[in-house]
Amino acid sequence: MGVAVSAPDLEPGPLMLRRRAWLRSNLLPYALISPSVAVIGGILAFPLGMLVWLSLQHYGLRELIAHQGRWVGLDNYRSIVVDPLFHQVIVRSLLFTFACVVLTLVLSTLLSLLLLKVRRVVRVLVMSALVFVWATPVIVSVDIWQWMFDYEFGVMNYLLTQLHVGNFIHHNWFDNPVQGLGVLVLVVVWGAIPFVTITLFAGLLQVPSDVIDAAHVDGADAWQRFWFVTAPILKPIFLIVTCLSTIWDFGVFNQIYVMLNARPSSDYFTIAIYSYRESFGVTQYGLGASIAVVMVIVLVVVTFFYVRETVKVAEIA
Amino acid sequence: MNLRKTWLSVVTVAVALVAAACGGNPSPVSNNPANETGTLTVWLMNGSAPKSVVDGVNADFKTKYPNVTVNVEIQQWGDIGTKLDTAFAGSTPPDVIELGNTLVAKYAAAGALEDISGKKSSFANSGTWLQSLTDSCTVAKKLYCVPYYAGSRAIIYRKDFFTAAGVAPPDSLDGLLTVGQKLMTAHSSDPNFSALYYPGKYWYAALPFVWDFGGDIASQSGGKWQGTLSSSSSQQGLTTLNNMVSKLSRADKTGDEAKQDQAFAQGHVAMIIANGWEVGVITSATGGDPSLADKLGAFPIPSHVSGQTAPVFLGGSDLGVATKSKHQSLANDWIAMLTGSKHMTEMATVGGVIPNTTSMLGLGTGLNAVFYNAAKNSKFVPNSENWANVENANVLPDMLVKIFTGQQKIPDATAAASTRITSILNGGG
Repeated sequence: MGVAVSAPDLEPGPLMLRRRAWLRSNLLPYALISPSVAVIGGILAFPLGMLVWLSLQHYGLRELIAHQGRWVGLDNYRSIVVDPLFHQVIVRSLLFTFACVVLTLVLSTLLSLLLLKVRRVVRVLVMSALVFVWATPVIVSVDIWQWMFDYEFGVMNYLLTQLHVGNFIHHNWFDNPVQGLGVLVLVVVWGAIPFVTITLFAGLLQVPSDVIDAAHVDGADAWQRFWFVTAPILKPIFLIVTCLSTIWDFGVFNQIYVMLNARPSSDYFTIAIYSYRESFGVTQYGLGASIAVVMVIVLVVVTFFYVRETVKVAEIA
Repeated sequence: MNLRKTWLSVVTVAVALVAAACGGNPSPVSNNPANETGTLTVWLMNGSAPKSVVDGVNADFKTKYPNVTVNVEIQQWGDIGTKLDTAFAGSTPPDVIELGNTLVAKYAAAGALEDISGKKSSFANSGTWLQSLTDSCTVAKKLYCVPYYAGSRAIIYRKDFFTAAGVAPPDSLDGLLTVGQKLMTAHSSDPNFSALYYPGKYWYAALPFVWDFGGDIASQSGGKWQGTLSSSSSQQGLTTLNNMVSKLSRADKTGDEAKQDQAFAQGHVAMIIANGWEVGVITSATGGDPSLADKLGAFPIPSHVSGQTAPVFLGGSDLGVATKSKHQSLANDWIAMLTGSKHMTEMATVGGVIPNTTSMLGLGTGLNAVFYNAAKNSKFVPNSENWANVENANVLPDMLVKIFTGQQKIPDATAAASTRITSILNGGG
């Protein structure tokens, strides 16, 4: 330290300037990024750290009231690993997420392509409808969906019967979990379409029309023009919306919880519901936290691919 | 300098606020109630006390403690477990809390409720409290709450439908099925008609069937619980119920009982298993049908043994004081006023519930008498601090839905439920 301080006295000029330049080029970026890191640390790392900490403790109601848990190491993780229900929940959550993400992306892409082709008035109308869906609070919209699929008074049963699709009087949509989860996929996809459609539509507006025209002249049909010209240009946007949709759909909670009157049976447990049920239902907050940690890990693994691709695309750009 | 001044005033205000917050006098009520100040927060459950009763208690309380504000907040049953957990974990939980009688053991054992054993005699009628409610308030021989009211179920039926179909209230479960089938035939042109409207998750109404055949939810021996829904007698009860539901009910097999009164009021239902106070909901001008008032009758859930009745679940609520409450004496006094003879009488006559004391059981007249009598042959869920977790984990509703929808056979569904109940009652998840 003493040497460092006295060094400029011995040899002023070039060394000092070089050191300053070194400091500027090496430390300045860190200094500039530090406020963001602090904020992200505060709002993400701290709760996540607390979650991990909680997952290593036995934390029941008694501990909750006394604000003092009992350290159990990895016991909570051991007990969920051997729980057959947990395995079902993981598989169900992954399939549910896959169905939701694929449907959301396919339908949103079709809708956004349609928006390019329609007249301005229609486009404004469709966009308004999409924004309206987006702006509706989830609880309100799910309540309406619940009413539509109601066993006794649901308009869906009435409509399908009137249209002679079959006899749907007193048809219970949630009697069979596969069918019930199908309805829930529909509700989730319905809510997810506006954001993805509008984002993709914004991306489509950036696709240069001369490139499309050139492909057209070269004899590419509509599918080829989309697959070989439009899609590669939209790749970064596809990656981002896929990544975000995966994260949202994997953690879906409100739609299932509200649709099933806050008492979903275990056939409808996704990982978020399961974690909530273990935490607040059976007052095993440590166990619930360990499920939530597993949920984060699965998400990191699943979204790693997308994030890596996104970073690659960003680097190329 | 300015900064220092500001800092000083912030500290002063903070100290003053803390002093004010603590100033509600946690020690016994001082000699002069008029000197008591502060705000008493009371959590009552939706549908428990009629507004007139709450207003009456608050008026009496205001007369005694003119400077204390009482804030009564009505809570919904739906997710009450979650709300209670978080409220008790916080530093300022409500002072008075109404707890369903199956929930008390959990919170008392966790140290959330004040031990009021020494104050028992200060509550009216404490010598004649309903035994089952007193038991629900007692954990490890200490008293943690005051019995509030009870409710027991019977069958509410449409007298006009019965007359038209030429049937009378049955006195056995076989008779109930026969009567139901005759009603179904009489109303065969109505695709929405249910002779006995039974939503799939309605576990309170399933227990009489289990108990009537000698079954139970769980039994305890040597300090360990064992789920017994898979026993042959429990299964026999559930088989009888399943048969009845499949033949007599068009209610949602995955739904709960929350909407059954509205469904009944719409005129396509002949019988429901319900609490006494639900008569008021069915005949209310909002959501119900007042014209049904003269057409309603009630009879106890019959036993499989002709001439006897099935044991029913004795539901109800208790009133406790939070351990962390800063106004425990005021809270106990508020409870004493609500559970005193004056307001208890009103709870029974206006609210239609069973009062907390045997000395008032004579108040049940007319239809209410049927429900009061049903309470005499009643049973309770396992009295364990972990029972609330069985409820919150929806073990029984899940089992019933699986049986009624045919997803699982009765032996499989009951075996799975028994295993889960054994695990939860013994402290597992």
